[in-house]
This record gives sequence, structure tokens and C-alpha cells, in this order.
Amino acid sequence: MVTILVVVAILVCALWIMGHRLGLVPGYDFGAGAYYYADIPGYENIEKEGVYRTGVPYWVHVVLFIGWGWLMYRLWVWIDKRKK
Amino acid sequence: MEKQKSVPAFWGKEDWQAVWLGFIVILIACVAVLTKAFDFSAVKFSTWTLGEAAPKATPLGTQLGTWVFWRKLIVTFVTLGILFSIGVKLQGEKIKKYIPAFICLFVIALVVRMVSAEFTLNRYLEWAFWALLIGLLISNTVGVPNWLKPAIKTEFYIKTGLVIMGFSVLFSNIAKFGLYGLGIAWIVTPVVIIFMWWLGTKVLKIDNKPLVITLASATSVCGTSAAIATGAASGAKKDDLSIAISISIIFTILMMVFEPMIIKAAGMTQLMGGALIGGTVDSTGAVVLAGNALGPEAEQAAVLVKSIQNILIGFIAFFVAVFFATRVEKTSEKKVGASEIWTRFPKFILGFFAASLIASFLIQPIFGSGSVKEINTVLDQYKNWCFVLAFTSIGLDTNFKELAKQMHGGKVLWLYIIGQVFNIALTLFAVWFLLSGVVFDIPVLDLFK
Repeated sequence: MVTILVVVAILVCALWIMGHRLGLVPGYDFGAGAYYYADIPGYENIEKEGVYRTGVPYWVHVVLFIGWGWLMYRLWVWIDKRKK
Repeated sequence: MEKQKSVPAFWGKEDWQAVWLGFIVILIACVAVLTKAFDFSAVKFSTWTLGEAAPKATPLGTQLGTWVFWRKLIVTFVTLGILFSIGVKLQGEKIKKYIPAFICLFVIALVVRMVSAEFTLNRYLEWAFWALLIGLLISNTVGVPNWLKPAIKTEFYIKTGLVIMGFSVLFSNIAKFGLYGLGIAWIVTPVVIIFMWWLGTKVLKIDNKPLVITLASATSVCGTSAAIATGAASGAKKDDLSIAISISIIFTILMMVFEPMIIKAAGMTQLMGGALIGGTVDSTGAVVLAGNALGPEAEQAAVLVKSIQNILIGFIAFFVAVFFATRVEKTSEKKVGASEIWTRFPKFILGFFAASLIASFLIQPIFGSGSVKEINTVLDQYKNWCFVLAFTSIGLDTNFKELAKQMHGGKVLWLYIIGQVFNIALTLFAVWFLLSGVVFDIPVLDLFK
């Protein structure tokens, strides 16, 4: 019963938002459902020059990225092996 | 499905076919954009409106009345029709049966794309939703004729679309927000996935593991795209994908509107609010809009965090494929060997990675970001076409009763809600820890606007 009420409330809320066109930006030709990076104004500038300067070398990011990913994979396997 | 033994695996198996078909599309798009010799753009409906006038809307009649529209439609149909027909032929199936079925599926997909370009529908619900809905309406009312069934090749279209999508995932974005971005996007994401896996399989006891992991990645990474990639990597069924994507799309509408309101009410800075939105709102379009509601700095922070999260799609799909090959699909207690993992491993993920690496480390450094953007604008439409064909196929192949069963008595909904709350709480902590100035210096963004 609670689940059904939650589902109804969520759907009503979503329809109300759509009906009132809430959350949209007039200058942007996309919404939650239709977008692409290429549509985001100024995105090529973020790609090209960046908006944040860091002194940390690129390879450090890659090492941390791969290291954390491997660690989390091992954690996932360990949790999955446990019975409860 | 793959009957012809004489065709080598690289040409005859669906997984490998997705790789080379995807790369043919990528190659043609690169040549077309870089040489400017011809226009390879796929057809796309511009926004139109059913009701009151909307900004940037073009009446349907005007769109259909231009030669450009029909030329692009022919290019799209011929390109996809030829490539998929060759694939089907090499899989050992009868091409005479496939072609008329594909034509019909393409026409239904065209209707889906037209409907999902309507202003209000297009602003809130993705094409995937409309493809499922229209497919479901057909299959549950008039039914699907037998002659149409040869074109229902969901996985083939999805895998090809994913390889094409790989080109848009730029690995160079990993350092765009330094360790701050990596901390918010990458520390939190796998923790949320593991939490949802534990919650779904151990606490809620949902026995459908592909559904749990598909929903977990949709929640923690980036909605539809992540769900498609992880679903394909884990061997999720069509209903699993439909459920995960529908839940993610509906909640994205709510989060896009309410999250900025709550952030504003809480008095959070734009930088923190934007990073929180980037790390928690599922779809990229919604992230930009929600960030914009807070201000320009929030919008850029949101985009930066989301662009890092989007890199994760391929890696998450890779680890999920290895996990399912070694733990979920294994039949005995013996450790699964490397050759067995290779046999079970979905090869299209390699195509996804290859496309991403070529775009990040070859095309972007040589031809620049502008060219990559142009190429991706073309490829994005081919990717969308592949996914629309796939989701229309899912809808045509599903009935409402099957779909309702996959909700597992509401457990799936609660898995998403609890997982998303955990995601927001953990991201909030990471944002506070990294960006509040209490522990580290507050980073400064150069705004372009």
C-alpha cells in the first residue's frame, strides 16, 4: 500500500512539473530528456582550455583512478562472498 | 542466433560485429567532418510543439517540407539498414526476412523520434521512455506480426550504439576538476554501487542480480547511458533495462527541480551545490539545468563533476562484466580461468574503450576539441538511432504483466530510493569535505560566461 502511494505521488509530482514546465532554461534547447554535451553553451571551452588549473600531474589522477577502482572491485567481491 | 559456423567469430558473432559496425560509423563521421567532403548527419527532428508556442520550436510541417530532412533520413536509413543487414547475414539469418522487418521497425522508430521531439515531452522524458511506451502499446494492443520479429534484435542495436557512444567519452576529462572532481565523482560512485548491490541482493533479497546492478549504476553514474552499458555487460533482460531506465527517468524530473530548491534553502555555496548536483542527478541534461538554477559557477561545477562521472561508464561496465563472468555466471566452485573469462566477456566493451581512447588521445590532440565536438554531434544521432531501435524492440517484445513482475513487489523502487538517498548523503559529505574550505582550500573556477 505504501509503495503504491509513493508511486502515485511520484507520478503526480512529475506530471505537475511537466505541466508547469518547471526547471527549464529558456536559452537552452534541451531538458532532462534531450541533451548532449555539444548542446551545452561554452562546453567546448571547458574541453579546450579547462576552467580549473591544477598543479597535480595528469598521471597522478590516472593512478588514483585505477587504484581506487581496483580496491573497490576487491571490496565488492569480498562483500558478495559473505553469506549475509 | 549465431548459426553459421563457417564465419569467423570476429565477423559472425554479435559482440564483435557491434565493434566493427560501430567503428565503420565512427570512421565515416570522422572523414565527413574532418574533410568536409560530405554531410553524414543523421536525421533528427527539431523541437516542435503541440500546444502553446515554445522557444526554438519549428512546426512539423516546416521540418517535413525541407529536402535536407529527407536527405538525412535517406542517409540514416541506408547506413543503418546496410550495416545491420550485413551483420544479420553474417550471423546466419535470412536477409530477405530481415529487410522488410527492419523497414517497419525503422518507421516505428521514426514515429518515436518525432513524438519525443515534442517540446514538453522532449524536455522531460528521454526518447528511451517513448520508444518503450510506443513499442509496449503496439505489442499489448494489436500485437506484433511474425514477419516483424526478425528485426527485433535489441542487444545487437544496443551494443553497436554503445561502441559509437564510446567516442564521446573523453578520458582527458578525468583531470578537468583536479583531485576535487575525482574525489567527488570517483570516490562516491563505486561505494554507492556496492551499497546498492549489498542492499538489493542481501537485504531486499532480489534474486535478479543483473537488475540490481543495472539500477545501481543508473543511480550512481549517469542514468540511461550507464544502465544500457551495465545492463549489456551483466546480461540483463529487456524488462530489467526497461524498469531501471523508467525509474531513473521519472526521478530525474523530480531531482532536477527540487534539488536546487533545497540547496538554495540550505544556503550552500554555488560551487558546493553544483558539485552535489553533478554527482547525484542522473541525466547530464538535467544536471546542467539544475546547476543553472543555482548560478553560473554551480553550472560549471556540475558539468565538471558529471563529465568525470561519464568516463566511469566504460570502467563500471568492464568491472561488471568481469564480476558476472567470474562470480555470478560460474557454474562450479572452481576459480574461473582467464580463457573462460575471455569467452564470457562481452567484447563490445573493448570497442567502447577503443573508441574512447582514440577520441581522447588521437583525434582530440591532433584535430582539436572543436572537431571532436562536430564529430560527436554527428555520432550522437547515430547512437540515438541505435538505442531507439533497441528500445522500440524491447517495447515490442514485452508485455505489461512481465514488466509488473520485475518490480518484485515494489522492492526495486525502494532499492532505488534508498540507494539515491545514500548517494546524496555520501556525495554531500564528499562535497563538504573537499569544497567547504574546512579541510582543503576552496578551488577557483574560471567562468566562461
